[in-house]
Amino acid sequence: MSKGVQIALGAGVCALLLGWYANTVLDEGATLTYYQTLEEFLAAPESAGSRPARVHGFVATGSIDRDVGAKVVRFRVQSQPPHAGVRPGGGLSVEYASLEVPDMFKDGAEVVIEGRLAHTGDARVFHATNLLAKCPSKFEAKLEDRASL
Amino acid sequence: MSDIGYFALQLALAFSLVGFGWGIYASLDPRPERTRVLERLLLAVSGFTTLAITALFVAFATFDFQLEYVASHSARSMPLHYRLGALWGGQEGSLLLWLFMLCAYGAAAVFVHHRSSRALMPWVCTVLLANCAFFLVLINFTSNPFDKIPTGHVLSDGQGLNPLLQHPAMMIHPLFLYLGFVGFAVPFAFALAALLSGALDASWFRVTRRWTLIPWFFLSIGIILGGRWAYEVLGWGGYWAWDPVENASFMPWLAATAYLHSVMIQEKRDMLKIWNMALIGLTYALCLFGTFLTRSGIVQSVHAFAQTEWFGTIFLSYVLVTSLVFFAALYARRGRLRTPHRIESIASREAGFLINNWVFMAILLVVFWGTLFPVFSEALTGSQITVGPQFFNTMAGPLALFLLFLTGVGPLIAWRRSSLTSLRRQFVWPGIAGLLTAALLPVFGLAGSFYSHVAFSLGAFVMATIAQEYWRAIRVRMRSHAETPLAALGTLLRKNQQRYGGYIIHLGAVFVLLGAAGSAFNEELLQNVAPGDAIELRDYRIEYLTARPIPAQHYGGAVARLALYRRDEPLATMVPEKREYWLEEQPSSVPSIYSTLREDLYVILTAIEPDGSATLKVYCNPLVNWIWIGALAFVVGTAVVVWPHPARTTG
Repeated sequence: MSKGVQIALGAGVCALLLGWYANTVLDEGATLTYYQTLEEFLAAPESAGSRPARVHGFVATGSIDRDVGAKVVRFRVQSQPPHAGVRPGGGLSVEYASLEVPDMFKDGAEVVIEGRLAHTGDARVFHATNLLAKCPSKFEAKLEDRASL
Repeated sequence: MSDIGYFALQLALAFSLVGFGWGIYASLDPRPERTRVLERLLLAVSGFTTLAITALFVAFATFDFQLEYVASHSARSMPLHYRLGALWGGQEGSLLLWLFMLCAYGAAAVFVHHRSSRALMPWVCTVLLANCAFFLVLINFTSNPFDKIPTGHVLSDGQGLNPLLQHPAMMIHPLFLYLGFVGFAVPFAFALAALLSGALDASWFRVTRRWTLIPWFFLSIGIILGGRWAYEVLGWGGYWAWDPVENASFMPWLAATAYLHSVMIQEKRDMLKIWNMALIGLTYALCLFGTFLTRSGIVQSVHAFAQTEWFGTIFLSYVLVTSLVFFAALYARRGRLRTPHRIESIASREAGFLINNWVFMAILLVVFWGTLFPVFSEALTGSQITVGPQFFNTMAGPLALFLLFLTGVGPLIAWRRSSLTSLRRQFVWPGIAGLLTAALLPVFGLAGSFYSHVAFSLGAFVMATIAQEYWRAIRVRMRSHAETPLAALGTLLRKNQQRYGGYIIHLGAVFVLLGAAGSAFNEELLQNVAPGDAIELRDYRIEYLTARPIPAQHYGGAVARLALYRRDEPLATMVPEKREYWLEEQPSSVPSIYSTLREDLYVILTAIEPDGSATLKVYCNPLVNWIWIGALAFVVGTAVVVWPHPARTTG
């Protein structure tokens, strides 16, 4: 057997082992999350209910409610930035199981919520275990605003 | 001044293009005078680039808000050091910094090697000039930091810098990271020059080895500094999150570390030359790929700078072309790099190094796969699927532990073949140290998880091997040369820099892994407290005293005063802040950390609630300090290895 074949065989066996191990890790489910925009998420509710999801949206203006007693933060997300003129009431209610929110989290912020959808009666509430927020990209926008004064 | 910078960049581009063309000519038919011209062209490009970056520094220092880049990354209220640091706060400046460092490394390589590596120099300069030319095209035509805002508009103040970047670590972390990333261009250029010119004698690998160690060191420290920055600024109690950008810097580090080990087999046994070449190419390709990953925004990340698509396309093509040229040249020269030597026994140091390389490659594969999983899954299934930190920890954790084990084993087994008696002699004490630790940890309730238990035991094993290596060598010298222990230690470090400096670096790696394993004992608590009330975590009691507004010029917000006690003994006053940066309209939480060698107590002021109570998040993170101590060991160890030594600085 030539050296090249030996190396290829060795690498193949290692890759298979690694792949098998990766597969068992991933099968436990907790580490795989599906990244979707809010629209995609709402369009596929049956699959959305059963598995952990990572949903991208924007915080609806005035919807943030810190419940210090219950140690949760409730808010709504919508699929467009608030100033884009989306009618209020649309979107999805979120309950985030912590009082610790990212610094960028505020009205209109672009967020990614991680967790699962829960149905209580008619109401659908997304129970988020993790919350990521991005600064609205005001830096670029503001320069143009000011430069055109 | 900014006009000077603008023209300097254009001149640098012109010179780099001319230099590249001349380089091909001078390399195909090398003559001393042609090479000299080529070297001067490279130095000219370096000179113009230095001029350009100086002009940009001056623009930041003098509030030149005519420049769009300066206006959008600084403000009058920022202190001078943060304004200078703002140079690399955005894409344009980062690219210029990259180019500047490439030039600096290139000029240094020319100065050091223009006599000793005559045969390689033409291609080395050509390869470096080609890289310079690419970045100069990118800067001049897509991301020019000297672009001005439209005439007729006057800005009295800039927009400031992202507050997260206004931190001392952010002044130096990017510098170290770039010194690491860019520095790999030099070994890459020497390796490619050896392949292209066919001068495949021993000189290329002696040069590349030394030039790999330097960027490797900067990259190591850069990565750890990044962790430190995340720990002190991002306020989530951790230092590493397997974020795509972190992974992007980790991947070339893995390849370079593998190379630094396997090159020793080449040195001692003249083997694995093709593999070593491949690792150099892979390291540089991963540096470029990492930059592409960060800058193109193809994967979601906290760092993601969303960019236009074509920027990503250009950059990816550059990565691919560079790799293609290198690996095609390697393929063409493979016959001349083959070696008749074979590994003789599995119980040999070269076999140990080889397994070490496989493990590094496996970790690299895991990180690569996990980082790009969203891209692969979107291509295959149409929906982006991300894998969390748990994936990386479960996959890379066991591999890292195996690597730790090898760190202990490697130095104990001989080259070529180890006899059974020598194995016994070498392994008895370290083995006992490891097993004893493994047995005693659960007794004291310090085992933690399975992983941390194994990590601590292996850590003890490795530290014992290092201590044994030092002790035996010192004892030999004390007997044979009648030296004092300290003098013997000094001689060891001087006479065998690589070996004993390397052990210090290993010790650093052990510290870093122990620090990471300490996370098995992490505890956290989120609690709302009224003034006068206290939070209890483990032995600690944190009493919330008052909160008051922050009277800073640049930001406002609140600072909470907390009294920290262990049982009833007062330890410290903690002052976590919740800042609001006015200009940037962005809040920022600054944690307060009480740090000891045993553990860190880390407090974040999440919010001051309307009723005056404070919501605090408290973390107890054992052993974190050992990660930073590990970084110090890296510094000391690398200094020992590269310290110029008269007897060794030949070639």
